[in-house]
Amino acid sequence: MCRPQVPFARGGAEILADTLVDELRARGHEADLVSVPFKWYPGARVLTQAFLWRMLDLEEADGRPVDLVVGTKFQSYLVRHRDKRVWLVHQFRQAYELDRTELGQFGESSEERALRRKVQTLDRVALGEATRLFAISQNVADRLERTTGLEAEYLPPPPQELDYRCTGYGEFVLSVNRLDRAKRIDLLVEATALDPALEVVIAGDGPDRPRLEQLARERGLDGRIRFAGRVSEGELADLYARCLAVYYAPVDEDYGMVPLEAFLSEKPVLTTADAGGPLEFVADGRTGLVVAPEASEIARAAGWLREHREEAASYGRAGKELASEVTWDRAIARLLA
Amino acid sequence: MRVAYFSPLPPEQTGIADYSALLLPALRERVDVTVVGRGRKKAPRGTDIALYHVGNNPDAHAWIVDALRRRPGVVVLHDFVLHHLVSGMTLGRGDADGYLDAMEREHGVVGRLLAHGVIDKRIPPLWESRPEDFPLASFVLGDATGVIVHSRHVRDRVRGAGFRGPVRVVPHPAWPVPEITPERVADGVVVGCFGIVNASKRIPELLRAVANVRESHPEVTLLLVGPASPGFDLERRLQRLGLADEGIAREGWIDETRLWALMAGSDVLVNLRHPTMGETSGSVIRALSLGKPLVVSDVGWFAELPPEAALKVPPDVDEAATLTAALDLLVAREDVRAAMGNAARAVARREHDLQRVADLYAAALEDAAGGGAVDDAVLREVSEAAAGVGIAAGTAEAREIARRLAEVELG
Repeated sequence: MCRPQVPFARGGAEILADTLVDELRARGHEADLVSVPFKWYPGARVLTQAFLWRMLDLEEADGRPVDLVVGTKFQSYLVRHRDKRVWLVHQFRQAYELDRTELGQFGESSEERALRRKVQTLDRVALGEATRLFAISQNVADRLERTTGLEAEYLPPPPQELDYRCTGYGEFVLSVNRLDRAKRIDLLVEATALDPALEVVIAGDGPDRPRLEQLARERGLDGRIRFAGRVSEGELADLYARCLAVYYAPVDEDYGMVPLEAFLSEKPVLTTADAGGPLEFVADGRTGLVVAPEASEIARAAGWLREHREEAASYGRAGKELASEVTWDRAIARLLA
Repeated sequence: MRVAYFSPLPPEQTGIADYSALLLPALRERVDVTVVGRGRKKAPRGTDIALYHVGNNPDAHAWIVDALRRRPGVVVLHDFVLHHLVSGMTLGRGDADGYLDAMEREHGVVGRLLAHGVIDKRIPPLWESRPEDFPLASFVLGDATGVIVHSRHVRDRVRGAGFRGPVRVVPHPAWPVPEITPERVADGVVVGCFGIVNASKRIPELLRAVANVRESHPEVTLLLVGPASPGFDLERRLQRLGLADEGIAREGWIDETRLWALMAGSDVLVNLRHPTMGETSGSVIRALSLGKPLVVSDVGWFAELPPEAALKVPPDVDEAATLTAALDLLVAREDVRAAMGNAARAVARREHDLQRVADLYAAALEDAAGGGAVDDAVLREVSEAAAGVGIAAGTAEAREIARRLAEVELG
């Protein structure tokens, strides 16, 4: 199981890979994790770091053949193997749809433009070698098809195992996410400023935290927004169990485990029409609310859920039915087929 | 990025002029394009990269190759066989030495001797008799910093010619299907064939096959559209096969609107050729857009069409028989025609979408403009790391690193 990792950071892709190893072992397979630090700057480092994967020999280990390898996200799928499967979490998005946006990385010089193209070439070659190609969401599969012409099968990964339960529909909206700009937690903070009855718990940590805390202070939201930081699995399950709804509205997200986790806790999900992957599960008026990416719309939607708890609960239950279909048994059967 | 764009353009009547007219608006949405006027030999000041469209016709492309000589850049190779272009740019300008050198560069002493034979009029001009055996693509590849081709076939031939720079396969873009009323020339199944009428388009074999098919399916009509090459006696052949009075509809040169209408009114489209010069066919692209089942020769670019959209006929001794079988199937089975037509339309959408093609152009141009610097940076870092652990150039370890880099097109 191959996954790159930014040292000291851990997100959905890391959890997915680690869990897959555990689940494979639980089914009697010998599985192990191979990791190389993920580094994408400066300059051509994005390519040379990727090239490290290419030099690995995973055909056999200590004289025993390795039957197959699974790559996950950019850089790891450059690995060589006669039976390379890829369960694509995402490509290097700065080279694609994030290019020339504020989240982009490559400038306008000839060299940087070409660097971006080289990343695309790596993808085309390395993903083209895969004997089976899966994508964690239709959104990721569509992007791949658009950018490389390669077709991937949609294979949603199950969420992490937690003590999912519902103990009621409390007063607060929960955000579970890494705190960085693309996750758009600032929209929720601004929504809280617009609705004096809205209470929010923000679980997670990340580089955007100081800015978000500053924003909350400026808006005078002390007491109504709690930054819980990184929480334990027990605390997370408890927050899910008690919240009114879960807010999850990143920009064009690849997939996002959070909606499925919310559903397993029978909670509706509040998201935005441009969130990408989450929209494969969150349907407006069925399993949650989908609104325009504006603070006023989010405030209005959160207020509506607060005043319509029966509907909120029924959305959560409908979500649970969906999420219960996404199991490791099914995922592993397809991945290894 | 500023791109200087060298190409024939309308009102010049060449396939490549039409191609550029289609591509340019979409390309302009992605990069800053300056079209260089015909005959000018210098890219404008401030150009980052120059793009040269090269085909086999010296009247249309000699000035472009002259410009390429002054400033290397990305070459779009519309044909692989450039013998006619080269002879026009050398012998046509009184430069016999240039022709001798071009032949020797690609084909050694034998090439030079043959070139002498041509110059002395002891053998027929090779560009007419055997151009496919003497393609002379090196004449332009030497100045190319990157090459864009339309097929894997030509990519492989470019590689085979020793070109080591980046080569990208960019499909021919599809024209939007215009608003037209299909024009039916007969009631039964109409088999359409569009283009120059001559032996290299396999018209003799096609006529024989249609005559065969009509024995069991007399309702079939062959629609033959396009001027006949001088010396190709179509009438005599039609008479001999009993096709002179029935089973054939004949049109000479027609305009674009009529072309679309007649194609749309055909049930099956046939596009054969042998030998191939590595070219694509605008007619085949139009047929795909229209969702028509195709019968093509199993050569070059045509061989790369997906089998679900095109039946392929090898140009061998059984050609007429294979062609008869293919036409028999398509004439008899409306369901097969419909399925192949749907597949054809899907190919046009998937492979030949104009926006996709323009994206691929932008990628090729950006790669050509800055890719060398990126490759240098990668190689520098990898070789420093290798040297740091004692891997010297020329060792087995260094060769493995080079092989791995090449696999992922780095360095």
